[in-house]
Amino acid sequence: MSRPPELAPETQLDPITLEVILSGLRSVTDETYIALMKSAFSTNIKERNDHSTALIDPAGRMISLCERSQPIHLSSMLGLTGALLRKYDLDAFRPGDIFVSNDPYTADGSHLPDINFSMPVFVDGELLCFMCNIAHHADIGGMAPGSMSGGMTEIYQEGLRIPPVRLFAEGRMVEDLFEVLLLNARVPDERRGDYYAQIASCKLGERRIQELAATHGRARLAAAFDQLIARTHARMLKAIANVPPGDYVFKDVMDDDGFGAQSMPIAIKVTVGDPALEGRIRCDFAGSSPAVLGNINVPFRALQSSVVYAMRALLDPDVPSNQGMLDAIEIDAPAGSILNAAFPAAVAGRANTCQRVIDVVLGALAPALPDRAVGAANGANTAVIFSGTDGETGRSYVYLETVGGGFGGRATKDGKDGVQVHLINTSNLPVEAIETEYPLLVEAYGFVPDSGGAGTHRGGLGLRRVVRPVGHTTVFTGQGERFLNPPWGVFGGAPGGTGGFKLREADGTVHDMPTKPGLTPITPQQALIVETAGAGGYGPPEQRSPAERAEDLGSEKFTANFMAKHYGKDK
Amino acid sequence: MSWTLGIDVGGTFTDVCAYEPATGLTHYHKRPSTPQNPAEAILAGIAELCEATGLHPRDIGRIAHGTTVATNALIEQRPCRVALVTTEGFRDLLEIGRQVRPSIYDLQKDNPPPLVPRHLRFEVAERVTRGGRIVRPLEAEEVDRVAAAVAAAEPDAVAVCLLFSYLTDAHEQRLGEALRRAMPGIEISLSCEVRPEFREYERLSTTVLNAYLQPIMSAYLGRLESGIAEAVGPVPLGINQSSGGLISAARARTFPIRTALSGPAAGVAGAVHLTRQIGEPNAITLDIGGTSSDVALLRGFAANTVHERWVEGYPVRMPSVDIDAIGAGGGSIAWVDTDGLVKVGPRSAGAVPGPACYGRGGTQPTVSDANLVLGRLSAGGLLSGSMPMQVEAADAVIGELAAATGLSPEWTALGIIDIAVANMVRGIRAISVERGHDPRDFTLIAYGGAGPLHAASVARALGIRKIMVPRHPGLLCAQGLIVADQLEHFVRTVHLPLDDRLGDALAPVLTELRAEAGAWFAAQDVAAGDARTEATLEMRYLGQNFELAVPYPDDGAADRAALEAAFSTAHDEAYGFHNPGAPIEITSVRIAASGRHHRDVDPVHTEPGATAPPTPIATRPVWFDRSGAVETVIYDRARLAHGHRIVGPAIIDQLDTTTVIFPRDVATVDLRHNLLIEVSA
Repeated sequence: MSRPPELAPETQLDPITLEVILSGLRSVTDETYIALMKSAFSTNIKERNDHSTALIDPAGRMISLCERSQPIHLSSMLGLTGALLRKYDLDAFRPGDIFVSNDPYTADGSHLPDINFSMPVFVDGELLCFMCNIAHHADIGGMAPGSMSGGMTEIYQEGLRIPPVRLFAEGRMVEDLFEVLLLNARVPDERRGDYYAQIASCKLGERRIQELAATHGRARLAAAFDQLIARTHARMLKAIANVPPGDYVFKDVMDDDGFGAQSMPIAIKVTVGDPALEGRIRCDFAGSSPAVLGNINVPFRALQSSVVYAMRALLDPDVPSNQGMLDAIEIDAPAGSILNAAFPAAVAGRANTCQRVIDVVLGALAPALPDRAVGAANGANTAVIFSGTDGETGRSYVYLETVGGGFGGRATKDGKDGVQVHLINTSNLPVEAIETEYPLLVEAYGFVPDSGGAGTHRGGLGLRRVVRPVGHTTVFTGQGERFLNPPWGVFGGAPGGTGGFKLREADGTVHDMPTKPGLTPITPQQALIVETAGAGGYGPPEQRSPAERAEDLGSEKFTANFMAKHYGKDK
Repeated sequence: MSWTLGIDVGGTFTDVCAYEPATGLTHYHKRPSTPQNPAEAILAGIAELCEATGLHPRDIGRIAHGTTVATNALIEQRPCRVALVTTEGFRDLLEIGRQVRPSIYDLQKDNPPPLVPRHLRFEVAERVTRGGRIVRPLEAEEVDRVAAAVAAAEPDAVAVCLLFSYLTDAHEQRLGEALRRAMPGIEISLSCEVRPEFREYERLSTTVLNAYLQPIMSAYLGRLESGIAEAVGPVPLGINQSSGGLISAARARTFPIRTALSGPAAGVAGAVHLTRQIGEPNAITLDIGGTSSDVALLRGFAANTVHERWVEGYPVRMPSVDIDAIGAGGGSIAWVDTDGLVKVGPRSAGAVPGPACYGRGGTQPTVSDANLVLGRLSAGGLLSGSMPMQVEAADAVIGELAAATGLSPEWTALGIIDIAVANMVRGIRAISVERGHDPRDFTLIAYGGAGPLHAASVARALGIRKIMVPRHPGLLCAQGLIVADQLEHFVRTVHLPLDDRLGDALAPVLTELRAEAGAWFAAQDVAAGDARTEATLEMRYLGQNFELAVPYPDDGAADRAALEAAFSTAHDEAYGFHNPGAPIEITSVRIAASGRHHRDVDPVHTEPGATAPPTPIATRPVWFDRSGAVETVIYDRARLAHGHRIVGPAIIDQLDTTTVIFPRDVATVDLRHNLLIEVSA
């Protein structure tokens, strides 16, 4: 196949050629994403799409992130490749190598179930980039099934730690390592299938990048990496310039860590327009809580993913998530704090804290960007995990699910009821799939009435699910947030309702459970009730239109009592 | 009674194709659509075709119809008061869906609203769980209570969807009977009848959509049938369904959701017919219109069937021809993003105002304007002369974009096409990898107004070597309707392991499904020689949630090893690997029943291959790449004959499209006047 002549590296590509190359790079991350989804074994990947793909260059810079990626995965993928580049000289990488890791402290991961793959891709004998993917495995060992529950206090309890190591060396699998990986996780057959899917995704990406290089030329692709990053960076600076200069401060709290720490502050100061920033935006989390014993600490890479998500959503939802975008945001968090965890802090439940980080970024910038501000959302990654042995089939099972909640009121319309919010956008598992695969019965799945904060545009409702084990005692573990501290409203909007885990006894009495319950047996006579938080409203409730108030009441999403309390008795 | 009509109604045009099987004669007629009442353009189109050709309406024996009524109703969100009955505890399921947002980063973007508001969603005390086991029986008083409450709400249509009704439908059936008694004249959609398949939200959504569409479809078909009865007489009217076969109008009234993809599926049926005629089993169809492009992968002379898709933001669990829409077409607008990169689409100039070159007020550069600037489209417009081009307007809008990019107008125009093609290629690649195929092994069949214009660029970027442009690229849907079979699927959800006892376990299910198919053949008057059934098993590794379809031999000889091998091959094709020894399960059994209407005949005017080269009608400078314009010969498609061979560069104009032959590419005309293009390396 003929290809254009190679370029000098400093050659400027025109904006059309660049766009065509960008489209080709996006095609690679799309295809590898789909290949991973289609060939995975676990519902967590194939149904809930808890996976992502990206291209990273030999300088460790993000080139292209699949648009369907989970935002929290972004920095973790950078983390593995960054760790590889620190650990090895460039000439140590060989065609056919594939690296694997998950560890937050040696491989800049974000929690152990997220397993990163990175494959160096060579063109004409030279390293062009790394084809990366990440997938959330339903279990990676450790003290509790699902490797995500509360009750863990150091990284060793959370599962198998994988430093940056080769799973493939020059095209051959390192079988000894693979045996170690499989032995240390529950349901090893499912793990094997998911690992194979990640490997297949890397290999497809390698082939497709080489085809792209055959079309455009290696040097032209490398030049495009630089120029795409530079253009995106300039684009972000332009978006930041639209934010009125100033310091914006905000503070929220985490409920607790499950080990006695309560109301841990998450504090932020956003700075725009400081000449030292040269047009960038700074987020300083000084004043946030020190790291806690419970596992809701956030490794720095996960903090970066969260801030990047919030900035993109606020400033430019269509901006490519490449290094030029990341470099426009400066992030400081005190070392050893809950937002910049140090070894051996436990981090499995960091997504809850990450959601809170997004809330404080949005809260801080609300006065600066009132059209784009939203009320605080569910702001959690409420996880429920059931495990046990199915009496009918004799099979042991682990069932993990994260439950969405309310989305905050917006400048022109209400928040959404019962959705995953911000960083998380994973699907639920169908009730018919749950009951077919696990000995559980879902009694109810619906909205929590009155949980949306009142406002000119109200907050969304939280979700409620009632689960009962069938014919056996199940072991439940969970992680909840915004169970004690409600999601706030903006510009006069009222806060939404809090969530909670509850246990219903055989006689129908219901009592509250901790926000982060450890291993809890539940008998077939009992039922677990999970309710997630709603969301805060936008604008003063008295300005809500009569038609919308009538709809609130008529739909039975809100009770007459609630309407009277928040909107007055005239309706 | 010897003629068959195929009628395809699109957003802009209504196409009528008449065909006489005995002689192979065809007539075509194209006229503007009447979106307010699509039946009007159909009846006018039939009358106009008859008048123009001398065909007597009473000689029409059968009509096959592709419609967009269902999708248009959803796009316009036409009001229809639907009530829903669902299992207690699950009133909000329709609104929760899969709890995901349509866009991760855009905080303002929402899914479309549920088609049944919360106050019209009724819960019923009953419960079925795994294995179809009833854990809470449905009491008679409860049935009466719910039926009365629903009737009191005075809905236009009712949907009923209960948990696990795909395994045990007794509760839904009893509710259905009571509702029909309480509300005679109101259509009741039961999920166990609409689509008895696993996964409650998708089944629920499908059932609700079906209920929503019933009154709309019923009114439309009523108008159409009475109009046809008056003008033509009592001839059978077949409606093309999304899975690519015809169903009776009565069935389309009961299950209107089956017609959601009626029109595009007809185009694919036409393309499948073409692959048989040219003997190319594997093809990618590329139908480029004004705002978007439809793409389908054909393998072994057949389109893939998918069992789930999104229709205007709502999930539908229903077999349909595997077509994907890509947001790039002739009207796609080119613009400069804030980072200076040039983007094409997703916004489109649409039919109004249309591209700047149409001279109807379009002020932004589009793909069509770029084609005009490059000389690929004739300044005189299409050969029909219906739409002369405004060259100055195109020059002006492309010139503005060129100034912004710092490139010459021609390079900018080339770039617009390159980017639009890159978008299409990205879409086709994603579709290919999702299906586990390499596009290089396929022939590209290009149709629609702008398909033949971009086919060579798309083919080259995908590594495709063969392109086929049918004789009438704008009429492929109507032609597809002529050749469509009468089709129906019968399905049972099962949960069976792949083991040596499988054959015994499947036998009664297959017997039942075949009996249903037999009854359907009888009802459709399908002659024994034209009736065909094909069984497939949906198989997966235990624990997987995506199934793969594996054909099940007709003789019922369920050789475990053969099935495992077939599944492994399918898994290899789809995912690049299989797991030897891993347990496999069968999740459902399907019978596809088809009744053949059409028998292909050789064209009547079999001419000897032309020996003299074709005569050009003009020449003009055309840009193919950045090296400059090339003086290029222009041919009139209507004057090309079987055996003609054209070496590019060349442009072939015809009434409804323009075909670009790139330098060194070679086009030949076959016996049926199809254009076959070999793409040079």
